Amino acid sequence: MTLLKVEDLHTHFISRDLDNQICIAKALNGVSFSLEAGRVLGIVGETGAGKSLTAQSIVGLLRPPAKIVAGSVRFEGRELTDMPDAELNRIRGNNIAMVVQNPRTSLDPLTRVGDQLVRLHQIHSGGPKTASHKRALEMMEAVGLPDPESRAKSWPHELSGGMAQRVLLAMALMNSPKLLIADEPTTGLDVTVQAQILDLLRSLVARFDMATLIITHDLGVVAHFCNDIAVMFGGSIVETGSVRDVFAAPAHPYTRDLIAATPERFQMGRAKALGGQPPDLYNLPSGCVLQSRCAYATELCQTTVRNAEVAEGHFALCHYAGRLEEQPAVKINA
Amino acid sequence: MTQPVLKIRNLSKRFPVGGGRVVHAVNCVDLSIMPGETLGMVGESGSGKSTLGRVILRLLEPSEGSIEFDGQDITQLPKGQIRRLRRDMQMVFQDPWSALNPRMRIRDLIAEPIKLHVDLSRSERDDRTEDLARRVNLGSTYLNRYPANLSGGQLQRACIARAIATDPKLIVLDEPTSSLDLSVRAGILELLAEIREETKAAMLFISHDLGTVRMISDRIAVLYLGEVVEQGQTEALFETPAHPYTQALLSAHLPADPAFKVSRLVLEGEVPSPIALPTGCKFHTRCPVAIARCAREVPQAIQVPSGQQAGCLRIPNGGNIIERKEDV
Amino acid sequence: MSDATQTELANANPLPVRARVWNRFAGIFWLSPTGAIGLFIILFFALLAIFSAWLIPHDPIAAYTDKVLHPPSAEFWFGTDGNGMDVFSRVIYGAKFGFGIAIPAVILSLVIGIPVGLIAGYRGGLLDEVLMRFVDGLRVFPSIILALAVVAATGQSLLNVILVLGFLDSPVFARVVRAEVLGLRSSNFVESAVAAGNPTWRILFVHLLPNAIQGAMAQTAVRAAWAVRISATLAFLGVGIQAPTPEWGAMIRQGAEYMVSGQWWVALYPGLALILLVFGLNLFGDGLQDLMDPRRRSAK
Repeated sequence: MTLLKVEDLHTHFISRDLDNQICIAKALNGVSFSLEAGRVLGIVGETGAGKSLTAQSIVGLLRPPAKIVAGSVRFEGRELTDMPDAELNRIRGNNIAMVVQNPRTSLDPLTRVGDQLVRLHQIHSGGPKTASHKRALEMMEAVGLPDPESRAKSWPHELSGGMAQRVLLAMALMNSPKLLIADEPTTGLDVTVQAQILDLLRSLVARFDMATLIITHDLGVVAHFCNDIAVMFGGSIVETGSVRDVFAAPAHPYTRDLIAATPERFQMGRAKALGGQPPDLYNLPSGCVLQSRCAYATELCQTTVRNAEVAEGHFALCHYAGRLEEQPAVKINA
Repeated sequence: MTQPVLKIRNLSKRFPVGGGRVVHAVNCVDLSIMPGETLGMVGESGSGKSTLGRVILRLLEPSEGSIEFDGQDITQLPKGQIRRLRRDMQMVFQDPWSALNPRMRIRDLIAEPIKLHVDLSRSERDDRTEDLARRVNLGSTYLNRYPANLSGGQLQRACIARAIATDPKLIVLDEPTSSLDLSVRAGILELLAEIREETKAAMLFISHDLGTVRMISDRIAVLYLGEVVEQGQTEALFETPAHPYTQALLSAHLPADPAFKVSRLVLEGEVPSPIALPTGCKFHTRCPVAIARCAREVPQAIQVPSGQQAGCLRIPNGGNIIERKEDV
Repeated sequence: MSDATQTELANANPLPVRARVWNRFAGIFWLSPTGAIGLFIILFFALLAIFSAWLIPHDPIAAYTDKVLHPPSAEFWFGTDGNGMDVFSRVIYGAKFGFGIAIPAVILSLVIGIPVGLIAGYRGGLLDEVLMRFVDGLRVFPSIILALAVVAATGQSLLNVILVLGFLDSPVFARVVRAEVLGLRSSNFVESAVAAGNPTWRILFVHLLPNAIQGAMAQTAVRAAWAVRISATLAFLGVGIQAPTPEWGAMIRQGAEYMVSGQWWVALYPGLALILLVFGLNLFGDGLQDLMDPRRRSAK
């Protein structure tokens, strides 16, 4: 059974402006993917593409005005979107763990880090306190914190950024989650520390056989730490497949642009072909979301797009997926 | 021989942080930038790179050392005169969303440096503003909008227009692309390269991202704990990094290509606090090839065969090269 | 991005003006119903003040000596006071004094408080210390006693009341603006303004002022309520505006004497008017703070 299966997820921001008009920002528009145990999926995309929102929608951490309006999220076959809060809370702490950006702000500043770990274990797993404490020390050891005994007694403000991120990882591991969601786990850390954390994350994934979802804007992280990649644009996953396939033969024009813009591939003088406006979520075009800035767009792109399988397990949300080169010459953005 | 547009000698900046403690943000830095040259300054957070950029422009007061700008010593120049000099030295900031006054229209923001430094009539200034907007590929429809209505890339273009408005001799760019999305970043870099060709302005490009710095810089200086540990021509520094820290920094960079096999050397620990600087070589606490002498002796920068200058005691006997382990 | 598109959309198919005004009002009502009620109350009193000449059935200072202390009746809706003056007309006319004192006093407070806050916040250091300790000094005194003393000493005129209230309340705005400036001082756009070569006065008044003023503006309604309350209190204590001027505080003072003897209407109606206006201003003030603070707005 698939561990996590997200199907046709739509999340909208519904609010009223000062003129009492209802505004709807269509932030997620039919996101679907699945994740098996032991796999690492990297979600990449620009700011506003809906990466973090996807994670928040999965674990039910949306706050108004954001709202799931359609779709389903199944975790071990159980539907999460309409689950009562209490039950969802149990799953969230136990089977799904989340590591977020800004590790320092995610720790309770008034509780020693060891006690935070113990508390988390007590809430979800219960049992004798000494067992929780033992587990906390084990996990701190597992995330490479030197001298866990004394570290457990330190306060959050005494930790450096890298240490705090390790503590958060230890916290996430406390209840042996089956799914780990890491939202920009290394953004804001120094390059040399980032390397340490990523190494650690990978060894933990292998050791505990967790399914892992890494949200990042850094293609380097995806290229070297993920098995699969999902590229998001305008609230849709526009391409998904194994990292090797997608990097070797990107099928969606947006993925091509993204990869072409990396320092490794970027050629000076080509930038004008890349980038452009992000789509206006309040006023999405019919058809493909990329149409206004896609070099390959034709009139066909104004009609509804379906996911096309270009190779086994490699999908792209494009009318011309896999045949961009042989496409007719009538382009609307020429 | 042409003289450098910027020459700093022995520059230090210290901040008191209470309790008698002092943050040593920049320590005895020597650098110079020639007209039209782009110097990339790389370092992690806490390396003092942003502080150094601000001290150079006298946005912060130096604690020690001298700054020579365009042949003139500006270290002690009074505020009023510095203000006039700002015509020739401008800055672009990291976060374009917060670097522009949210209550001013883009047109007025771009025109501001001209208004402050150049005596032009209103219509001449308007023409100049429109030229600048065109130059940075910012559609003229955006001129009448407020910053909140522009995307990050457009805002950074406006910031660049503002920085080049008075044809400065030196532009300090503090991480100008690191808060932008990848595809937008490429466009901004290209724009900067074009502007450099056209205006011949010297640039100090501060960044933590090696890939970006490599694309735009003629020369690179690597900062660690407020000190320049290595500087030299871009290609030489990337091909044969001499200082162990440079080697580690380069190897920590993840190329966005799974086919690219990385052989990484992961450093232990984190950057020490700039309040209590390590003795001797500041990198010795994390250096895989450190020897006992490194904790005592401050290394002097020496020239290595590939041309760059590096400050490491182990260079003379070749012990500075770290062995790499293949990536799994 | 979204804002731009919104305006573009709005420009593309303009609604009739009346519909737009109505929509904006409905929007405010939706976001802050209490604020909208406050606005209603304020508008009601403003209309009374503006159109008082047409609304009052009697001259507010004409004494009907033969009809002293009449209870409310068809002729005198709110009765008459100890001088035989029509309470209803006097209550309506009193709205003029409420606004006539509160508005100039608040403007004066803004004019004094904002520059002080700007300079103290931006310069910091000793100047900030000196200015802020002075401001604190003004605040620790019970304002009513200070106002009482100053008005009594400087002479009892409407202008003096306004000047004293405006001066005494300026620390509130100085504090709010200073707090904003402290937050903005190290922000990127100020640094970028310095780097562009702006002189200090331009940084203060072109760059900081428009960004630091919102909190102060949100306070204006609440401070106007304070001015209305304090000016009425002064008049009640017999300082400042004197009877028989139809000012609510002065009227309450006069009416208080009759409360014990059963002529409740003399004090009750001006008291109700005072409470209602202060209540309306405070409601609107809270709503204003909600509307002006996008964080509070999105929390709804």
